[in-house]
Amino acid sequence: MKKTIALLLCAVLCLSVFTACQSTTPSNQGESKSPASPVEITVVTSYGGDDGNRANYEEAFKAYEAATGNIVKDGSGTSNEEWKAKIMADFETGAEPDVLFFFAGVDANKLIENNKVVSIETIRSVYPDYASNMKEDILPISPADGKKYTVPVNGYWEGLYVNKKVLADCGVEVPGAGYTWDQFMADCETIKSKGYTPVAASLQEVPHYWFEFTVLNHGTVETHNNLPGSSSDETGKAWAAGLNDIKTMYEKGYFPVNTLTATDAEIFQMMADDKAAFAIDGSWKIGWFQENAKNIDDFTVTYVPGKNDRKATDVIGGLSMGYYITKKAWDDPVKQKAAVDFVTAMTKDDVVSKFGATAVTALKKGAVPPSNADSLMIAAIEMTKGSTGIAPATQDNLNQTARASLFANVKNIVTGSITAEAAIDEALAITE
Amino acid sequence: MKSVMYKKKAPLILFLTPALLFLCIYLYYPFVMNIINSFSSITGLGTSSKGFNNPWYSNYLKLFTDPIMRTALKNTLLMTVFTIVFQVGMALFLALLIDNISKGVQFFRTVYFFPIVISATALGLLFNLIFLYDGGMLNQLLMKFGVEEFIDWKDQNHYLFTMSFPVMWQYVGFYFVIILTGLNNISPEIYESSEIDGANMFQRIRYISLPLLHNVLGTCLILSITGALKIFDLPWVMMGAGMPMDKSWLLGTYMYNQTFTMGDVDYGSTISIIIVVLGVVISKTANKLYKEKDY
Repeated sequence: MKKTIALLLCAVLCLSVFTACQSTTPSNQGESKSPASPVEITVVTSYGGDDGNRANYEEAFKAYEAATGNIVKDGSGTSNEEWKAKIMADFETGAEPDVLFFFAGVDANKLIENNKVVSIETIRSVYPDYASNMKEDILPISPADGKKYTVPVNGYWEGLYVNKKVLADCGVEVPGAGYTWDQFMADCETIKSKGYTPVAASLQEVPHYWFEFTVLNHGTVETHNNLPGSSSDETGKAWAAGLNDIKTMYEKGYFPVNTLTATDAEIFQMMADDKAAFAIDGSWKIGWFQENAKNIDDFTVTYVPGKNDRKATDVIGGLSMGYYITKKAWDDPVKQKAAVDFVTAMTKDDVVSKFGATAVTALKKGAVPPSNADSLMIAAIEMTKGSTGIAPATQDNLNQTARASLFANVKNIVTGSITAEAAIDEALAITE
Repeated sequence: MKSVMYKKKAPLILFLTPALLFLCIYLYYPFVMNIINSFSSITGLGTSSKGFNNPWYSNYLKLFTDPIMRTALKNTLLMTVFTIVFQVGMALFLALLIDNISKGVQFFRTVYFFPIVISATALGLLFNLIFLYDGGMLNQLLMKFGVEEFIDWKDQNHYLFTMSFPVMWQYVGFYFVIILTGLNNISPEIYESSEIDGANMFQRIRYISLPLLHNVLGTCLILSITGALKIFDLPWVMMGAGMPMDKSWLLGTYMYNQTFTMGDVDYGSTISIIIVVLGVVISKTANKLYKEKDY
C-alpha cells in the first residue's frame, strides 16, 4: 500500500514538472467554454505606467467590458526597447496577447514574417466593417510585405515644448513658424547667461528627438526617411551633420550639467520646475504637462527651429502605432469576435479623438478636439494645422540593435570619444 | 531500521527523480541551449537562430576585443572584492558587536536584516532619490552644510560609490544573520572558561570566535562571490545602461542590455556563460584557499 502511494506521489510530482507545457490549441479551448459566456482577452499596449493616455485607455476598455461583458486582462507597459523585446519574447514563447497595440514600422516585421498577426484584409473577409471609419490610404502599410495589419488610434507629432515663464524672465520671445536655428542658438546663449538651462534633454537616455530634427535640418521631408548606405553618402552626411549640431549644443553648455548621467524623467522635471526653457518631445507628452505643470498656461508647444532647406513648419509625425489582432486570438473561435469587437471599440471616432485630438489621425471624419481644451492643446492643434510637411521618424527605419547602438553612441559623439561618422557606420553595419 | 532503509536505493531514486527532472528541464536544458546559442546568430528576442556564426566562436573572440566587456569584468571583480570586504566584513563586525550585548539582539537582527525583504527596484528608486542631482537628499544636506554646488553622484568621479554603496548596504544583514547564528552555536562554556583564564574581549574574538566561525565565514565567502557575479537589479535601476559614459557596466547588466535592449541574444548568451565559468572558477579557488575545518 505504502509503495503504491509512494509511486503515485512520485508520478504526480513528475507530471507537475510539465504543467507549464499544456496545450493551448484553440479547438480545446473552444470546447471547454461556451461562446455566450464572458470572454477574457489579453491586451498589451503602451498605455502603461505614466503614459498621458492611460486614463483614456482605462476608460475606453472599461466601456468595452461594460458593453460586451467580456473581460480585458491588461498587460500594458511603457514603450521602450525593453518593452518591445518583452513583447517579442512573449510571441516567441507562445505567451502572446490576443490584441497588441504596437509599432507599425520595421519593429513589427518579425511578427508579420512569422505569421503572428492577422492582416486587416483577412479580418475584413469575416468582418467587412472592420476599421471602416479609417481612411484607407493612410492606414499604415507593413514594410515586411506591403499589407495592412494595424488599426491606428492616435498619430503623433514631435514639437518644441517651451517654458514661457523662463523665456519671459530671459527676455526671449516665444518662437514661431519662422524660427531659425541661428536665432535658437542665440536665444540659448541668452538663456544660459541668465542661469537657466536652455535645453532639457538627457543625452544619456533619450537623444532621439534631437536626432530626428537635427537630421531633418540637413535634409527635407521627402528625403528624411532615406536610410544611409554609409556615413559618406548624402543621407549619411546629413545624419553626421545633425549629430554634430547636437555636439555643438553640448559643447556650448546648452544641455543640463548632468545630461550624460540623468534619466529623461529627472531632466524633464526641470521644465515643470521652471529651470529649463526648451524640450523636444512628442504629442504624448501633453498629458505630462497637464499633470505636472503648476500652471499649464506657462507652457506652449511650437515648431522646432529650421536650418538649411527645412522650414521650421516641417514636422516629424505620422501614424506609428496601432492595434493588431494576433493569429492566436484569430484562430480561437471564442476569442476571435471578442478581439475584433475590442479593436473596433478602441478605434471608434470618439475614442480616437480623446486619445489624440491634437495629433495626426486616420479617421475619415477627423479627430474632434475636446471642448475644454487647454492652452497647450490649442497650441498643439494650431501647430499641426500650420505644418507644411510631415515626415515619419527616420529612426523607425533602423532595427532595434542598430537604433540602440546609434543612440548609445550619442554621449560618445558629444564628448568626442567617437566621431559621428564612425557611430553611423557602426549602426549601419548592424542593420545589414 | 535505518540501515535497511538506506540499503534499498529504489525509494531514494524514486523521490529524487522529480527534482532531477525539474532541474533538467528548467536549468540544465536551458544552460545547454545557452551554450549552443552563444555559437549561433540570433538577432533579437523572438527570432529564431539563423545558424551558427562564422566562425562559430566569433562571440568568444569579441569578448577579448569589446572594451565594454573589459569594463564590466573589471567592475564585477571590483564588486566581488567590495562584497567580501564590506558585506561580509561589516556583517562580521556587527555580529561580533551584537554577540557581546545581552539586550536588544532580536531588535538589531531585525533592523539589519530588513533591507533584504525590500525589493531591489524599490531600493533603487529610494537611492535614486537620495543621490538625485537636483533636489536629492544628499545634495540638499550638503547645501545645508554650506556646499554651494550640487554634486553629480553619478558622474565619473562618484559612480562607483553611488553604485556599490546600496548593494553593500542591502546584503550586510543577510551575512549578519548567518554569522550571528554561527556565533550562537559556539558553546558559552568555552567563553566562560576563557574568562576564568583571564582572556579579554579581543582575545576571545581572536582565539575563540573567529576560529570557530571559520566554516561559516567560508560559506559566506562563497555566497558573496557567487552573489557578486550576479549583481544586476540595483545597479540596473540606478545606473541604467552603463551610466556614466559606459563606466558602470557589470557582467549582469551588460548581459541583460545586450540581450534585451540591443537584441544581440547570442552575445548575451556568451556573457552569461562567462558569468557561470567565473562563478565556478572563483568559488572553487576560494574554497581551496579557505578549506573547511573540523573542530
